[in-house]
Amino acid sequence: MTPSPDLIDELQASRPVAPAALRARVRETARAPRAASPWERFRLPVRRVAVVAAPAVLALALVSAGAVGLSRSSEREVFSEAARPVEDTPQSVEKETLSATDLGAGATRDSAAGPTTGRAQRVSATLTVEVSDSDAVSDAAQDAIDLTRRLGGHVVSSSVTTGEQAAATMTVRVPVGKVQQAIAGLSGLGRIVSQQVTIDDLQASLDALERRQASLRNQVARIGARLDTESLEPEERAVLETRLQRLQLELRELRRGITATHAEARMSTIELTVATPEAGVVAPAPSRLERTLDEALDVLVWEGVIVLALAIVLAPIALLGLAAWLGQRLYRRREDERLLST
Amino acid sequence: MHAVSIDSPRPAGAAAPSFAAVAEELLDDVYGYLLYLTKDWAVAEDLTGETFERALRRWRKFDPRRGTARAWLLAIARSAALDWFRAESRRQRREQRAEARERRPESSFGEGLSPELEDGLRSLTAGEREVLALRVVLELDGEETARLLGMSPTAVSTRLHRALGKLEERMRRHDPVA
Repeated sequence: MTPSPDLIDELQASRPVAPAALRARVRETARAPRAASPWERFRLPVRRVAVVAAPAVLALALVSAGAVGLSRSSEREVFSEAARPVEDTPQSVEKETLSATDLGAGATRDSAAGPTTGRAQRVSATLTVEVSDSDAVSDAAQDAIDLTRRLGGHVVSSSVTTGEQAAATMTVRVPVGKVQQAIAGLSGLGRIVSQQVTIDDLQASLDALERRQASLRNQVARIGARLDTESLEPEERAVLETRLQRLQLELRELRRGITATHAEARMSTIELTVATPEAGVVAPAPSRLERTLDEALDVLVWEGVIVLALAIVLAPIALLGLAAWLGQRLYRRREDERLLST
Repeated sequence: MHAVSIDSPRPAGAAAPSFAAVAEELLDDVYGYLLYLTKDWAVAEDLTGETFERALRRWRKFDPRRGTARAWLLAIARSAALDWFRAESRRQRREQRAEARERRPESSFGEGLSPELEDGLRSLTAGEREVLALRVVLELDGEETARLLGMSPTAVSTRLHRALGKLEERMRRHDPVA
């Protein structure tokens, strides 16, 4: 159906005109001076803020990751100095030998302190040496076994692989008193790549065990004396005998613990790895740049994890808010339509 | 065309129109729109005054890049009118309950309109009169009207044709010869 042009012309020709009173009122409103509050003028330019804020946040994340990476790589440099391969020169070998020799005096280069004479301590060492070829690996492994036996120790486990990527790993135990000699001897099997000596003090726990042992012995002796000398009621005797059995059982366990601790303190454990450069046991030390990038990447990953966690927590709330807003908008629109359909 | 084309590029250094100038220019448009929407000159006058008061408060926030001043003012007028419709609906419900509904005197939609056309306009719904006012009387284009009403241009066109069809039908009934 096409509306008649007359109808449209009539509607347009009879356009409503505001009455003079209304015009005067609106003029008055429009010219009235208004003190505008500073907040009225303020409108947050969301798009502009987003355009600036998004790259700024990204840049901040990258810069902080870079800064943290740089500082951590410096810390790691100091730490890795100790594990840096020692050059295979007579002087450096002597240094290693010295450090091994100094173990007893408590002044080693790579380890914090040597075993203290007269104290029960658990001494363990990890040693990696590099030799030139596969034959040298076999020879070094055999030398290590010979040295261990010569020092009064024994081999706990041993694995030797020959061929292109020849390597030998073994765990040996030697008397604590000979650990310095053992480390010195094993260090001399090749070029030292890394060395770590760990000492755990067992004396405190040993003392506690021995005090408990003395206490138990006294209690056992007292109860034994009462059972032998006193005339006791059968019930009381039964109670004392049960208690005596329990104390004797505990005493036996305690003795076993003390013996084991003494045994642990007598022998030190050395884990030795002998490898050729081709075996890839020794990874080349990463450069400062690689370390920085590595650390920065770690920080970025953590930043990502935090952002993801926040998104997981906030997303349902945001979705609920969005759904509520859309629902309210839809309701309002329907309500408007209903009002305008009358 | 009554629109103040603030969205068209202004020469550098040209001053933005003052609120008073815009109000003077667009007063008839706002009043006409509200009169068509409410069918009541007294209400239309009140709502027009309220529209310009609201507009003055928000004038500093008006951004010509986002639309013409006319569309902006008509959107404020529509919001004021819808508020009035809501209040009126509540009032009518209360009065229906009290069975004391009063009949309002009927207003004219403009000087020179035939009684048949006035009658036809009154028979339309507020939504139909609204689209008629915007598209025919104020001559807004389909896109601008659609944006203002929050509907698609096709829906606007459909509603306009329905309104004009109803008017034609009403006029024919008054004048069977035509």
